[in-house]
Order: sequence, then C-alpha cells, then structure tokens
Amino acid sequence: MTSAGRRSLRRMLVKRSVNVAITIFGIMTLNFALIHFMPGDPILNMVPRDPKLDPAIKESLIDKFNLDAGLFERYVTYLWKTVTLDWGTSYMMSSRSVWDIISYDMRWTILLIGTSTFFTLIIGMAVGAMAAYRRGGAFDLTSTATGLFFYGMPIFWFAMLLQEAFSTQLFGMNWWPQLPGSSYYDIVEYGPVFKWELPIILSVLEHLILPSLTLAIASFAGVALVMRSSLVDVMNDDYILTAKAKGLTDYMILRRHALPNGLPPMVALIAMSVAFIIGGAYQIEIVFNYPGIGYRTITAIWELDFPILQFVVVVGGVAVVIANFIADLVLIYIDPRIKLV
Amino acid sequence: MMQSSNRKAKEASRIRAEVRREKLRLLIFRSKRVTRALLKNPMGLAGTIILIFFSVIAAFGPYLAPYEVDATRSGLFEPYLPSSSEHWMGTDVFGYDIFSMLLYGARTSILVGMFAAVIASVVGAAVGLYSGYAGGWKDEVLMRINDVMLSIPWLVLMILVAGLIGTISLTVIILIIGLTGWSATARLVRAQVLSLRERQYIERARAIGSGDLHIIKTHILPNSFPLVFANTILTVAISILSEATLSFLHMRPYGTVTWGTMLSYAYDNSAFQLGLHYWIVMPGLCIVFLVLGFTLLGFALDEILNPRLRKR
Repeated sequence: MTSAGRRSLRRMLVKRSVNVAITIFGIMTLNFALIHFMPGDPILNMVPRDPKLDPAIKESLIDKFNLDAGLFERYVTYLWKTVTLDWGTSYMMSSRSVWDIISYDMRWTILLIGTSTFFTLIIGMAVGAMAAYRRGGAFDLTSTATGLFFYGMPIFWFAMLLQEAFSTQLFGMNWWPQLPGSSYYDIVEYGPVFKWELPIILSVLEHLILPSLTLAIASFAGVALVMRSSLVDVMNDDYILTAKAKGLTDYMILRRHALPNGLPPMVALIAMSVAFIIGGAYQIEIVFNYPGIGYRTITAIWELDFPILQFVVVVGGVAVVIANFIADLVLIYIDPRIKLV
Repeated sequence: MMQSSNRKAKEASRIRAEVRREKLRLLIFRSKRVTRALLKNPMGLAGTIILIFFSVIAAFGPYLAPYEVDATRSGLFEPYLPSSSEHWMGTDVFGYDIFSMLLYGARTSILVGMFAAVIASVVGAAVGLYSGYAGGWKDEVLMRINDVMLSIPWLVLMILVAGLIGTISLTVIILIIGLTGWSATARLVRAQVLSLRERQYIERARAIGSGDLHIIKTHILPNSFPLVFANTILTVAISILSEATLSFLHMRPYGTVTWGTMLSYAYDNSAFQLGLHYWIVMPGLCIVFLVLGFTLLGFALDEILNPRLRKR
C-alpha cells in the first residue's frame, strides 16, 4: 500500500472509531432517558405491599440506590458507572452484582447466538449457492419459497411449536426424539459456576439443540437470498464466461471465481443481522427459559429492575455497534475496491 | 388591459389542467405496466393472491364470523369446548369462539401493519431526504441518531418505549411500531438521494434557478418513490410480526382482538397442555401467510421498480 493509501486508511479508521464512540454514547443516553421516565415505582416491587411496613426500610432502599438524586446527577453518575463497569447491584437480587449477573448471562447468549449463526451461515450459503447455480429451476423456487415462509414466522411461535413437537410423542411415535424444551432449571441444577465436566457439557449441548435450531431455521432465508442474488450478479459477468471457456468445472468456477466476489455483501449482511439475531434470541430465550441476556432483559422490564435494564440494553447495543465496526474492517480487507473516504 | 390578463389567466389554467391530465394518464399507464409485470412475476402473483384473500377476510370477517366477538366483555360460550359443528375450532379459555376470533383479528392485524409501516416510511423518508439533501453537519447529526436507533435491537427499543407508555391501545401500538422503525428507511432514502443529487438533470435544474423545494418535489421525490414504496410493503410484514412479538411479551393492546394477542393469551394459558391446539396454531399460521404475502409482494415490487435489478 502506498503511503497516501495508508494515511487515508488511518484517517478513515479514526473517523469510524469516533463514530463508534458517539453511537455508544447515544445508546447510553437514549437508554437512560427511556428507562428513567418509565412510570411505576421500583420500590413498590422490592418491598412487600404492606401498609404497616416500616418506612425506614423504604428510606434505606432509596438511599442505597440513590433514587432521590436529581436527574442530571443520576445521568452523570450513570455514564461514569457504565464506562467504569461499576454497575452496582440489582434491585431484585440484591446479593448479586449486576456485572456478575450480566456477564454470566452473556456467556449463554453468546453460546446460543454463536451456534445458531454458524448453522445459519452453513445452511444459508449452501442453499443460496445451489439456488443461484440452478437459477429458475425447481430447487431455486422451492428453496426461496420455503426460506421466505420461515422468514415470515413469528420466531416465538416457531419456538413454541418445536418445543411442543419435541416434548410429546407425536401421534404415538415411540422413536420420536425427546429434547429438553426448557433450560433454566436444568442449568441451575448444575450450579451457577460452569465446570468442564462431561455430563454438564452434554447437558448444555442437549439444551442448546432446540433453541439454536429454531434461530437458525428462522433466519437462514436472509443469508440464502443475499448469497443467491450476489452470486447471480457475479455469474452474469464476462470473466465467468471466460472461465467456462477455459474449460473449468462448474465447481471450480463457483469456488475460484464466483464465491470470493459474492463475499462482501455477505459480510455486510451478517453485521446487519446481528441486531435481528439478538432480537430473535430474546424471544427464543423467553420460550425456552434459556438463561441469557434476552431472558434477563424481559424479566427486568416486568420487574422494573432498572440497574439490570440500563446495562443489559447497553451491552446489546454495543455488541451491534462493534459487530458493524468489525464488518467494516473486514470489508476493507477483502474488497480492495472500497473507497477509503 | 383587463381583458388580456383575464385571457392569460384562462390560458394558464387550461395549460395547468392539461398538465394534470397528462400526469394522471402517465400515472395510470405506469401503474398498469407495473401491475402487468407484477402478475407475470411468480412471487408477485402468489403475494397478490394471498393478500386478496386476507383483504376479503379483513373487509367482511365480522359478517362472515358465525358469532360476534367483543373483546371488552367476557366470552359468550362455555370455555374449553372441543371443535364441533357449532364451534369449528372450539372455544378458548375465556369462552370465545376461536374461528370467529380469527376472522375478527384479520382486520386489526392488517391495519396495525399498514398504518405502522406508513408512519415508519413517511418519517424515514422525510429524515432520509432532509439528511441526504442538506448534507454537512445536519446530515452528520441525523445519521448518528440513526445509528443509535439501529444499534439498539428494534425489539428492545419497542419494549422500552412500550414500558414508558404503560397502557397500550391499538393506536398506541401502531405509533410505537411506526415511530421506532423508520431508521432503516431513512438510511435507504438518504443513499438514494445522495446518488440522485449528483445527476446531471438536477444540476441543470439548479443552474436554471430551481429552488431546493422545487427540486425535491419534482425530481427527487418521484425518483425515490418506487424504492420507498417497495420498502413500505416489506415494512408492513415486519410491523405485523412486531405487533405479534410485543403482544407475546405482554405489551398487548387491550380491548381488541389481533392474531398477536390471540397467540399471547394462548401461550400464557398453555393452550397446548389444555389440548386447545387450534387456539395457538391457527393465529400463528395466519400471521405467517399474511407476512409471506406482503414479503412476496415487496420483493416482487422491488425487482420491478428498482431499475438496477430490472436489467437482470
């Protein structure tokens, strides 16, 4: 790379990094505003609703969570605490710190999202490549239709159906596999600390099958469609014709010439779908009682557990921002045509 | 003097009427062409058929339904009835006829999706237009806000806003979905405006002294409309799904029947364990096919209206 190119690359990196910082700041601010104007008194959820309750208990709780401070003061404290990872304790589970809770939940969500994204990519890219290769054929039509059908499914509904299907012997079929449809209590059974022991690992994997399968099936259509259309784009180009004329096999054309050029839209898509996948994971975690970030967020909203809520949303947002940032970098790396503006 | 200015005014209004007629003729010609292309496209045809089916149900559902459904009062029948000739799909836990509820729910579900999508598209298009056209720091500020909106997963954003509002009616749910879902459209329109702005005919228009508003109205809006239109149809599909998901997470509109609320009550009352399979399977299937209809139509329209894709 020339020195001018390197300089413009550095300038772009700085600009993108500044944008990332601004976006994260915006996420924190919006999140703070939304949560702190929420109606409902969290104190009422923390203490038993008893008129004879000692007011001192309420006082001490207000004191502990700094609930009577001014809005601006709370905002500044919140920003500072978010950045320094000093996330305090939960309203509901006072014995555990928010950082503990969220970092524990995050592991499970990353496991779920990672597994399902892996399967989504494999299924989606294979289906998309096949469809593009036999464009207009029977496989193309049926795979597109099936993909769109699953794509339009409410994810939580699909999760319910799978949960029901694999928890009963459908139509009296004895061989039908039974899979655990609810994860929470089984994972809790092995204690909050994960140990690398075979029975625990097997149990975790067993509990992962249904949730990750649901997410993968519900989202492979997006990958397949983009794969198909970017390959169709490439396949019409002249150099593919040249490759054919050279006598390359179809497989070699696909691997050597078509796939590498279909890659950039793929990377952009993956980054963009991170938000979608997180949204899907939220619903799936609720249905399967899977102890992840989504489950925690939803229950925190129901219980008005603000300390958890205000950090758990930031974690989700930051994950999306960073995924997009990384995707940008990868795109620059794999596609030299991208202008360094 | 008087007479001549009068004649001039008459002449001008005649020309204006002529232009209006010509524009209308062009519009009809274009929509005919798009419709023909749509019906030739297998995806477009399938989508249109599905949507016609659901529109009929939405329009006449309450008259077709064997029983009246009033969600503000408790059900008319005995709960837990199995499917029979009187109740094709049985009755639910509250004593509503499930088949009638499905017919009633079509209208509300479609209305929520369409209105929310229109709001999202109008706001998104306005933001995108302004941002792309104004450029500079205004563009920068709007796009950073847009980044924030896109980075918080939409579902979470909607849940937080719903939590902020508290009691939820059908109107509120439409507003929540519409006002949180415009970011993707804004980005799309902005990109389109940025590419349009550099075209020669816009430069020429500016050179002969056209104002910004005029350029936006006569050149940029008509040229980005097809894109926004196809995108709106796709947003309808997402909005219908969002309503169902919000309902499932207990942010449901009160006093109305939508397929989303049916699903959520069915899940909360463990319909599967009670053997009320229709209650949970049918509204879900209806949502899937309705969303599929809008998605197919949206993709087909995108293919037809988007000249970049049409060449293929």
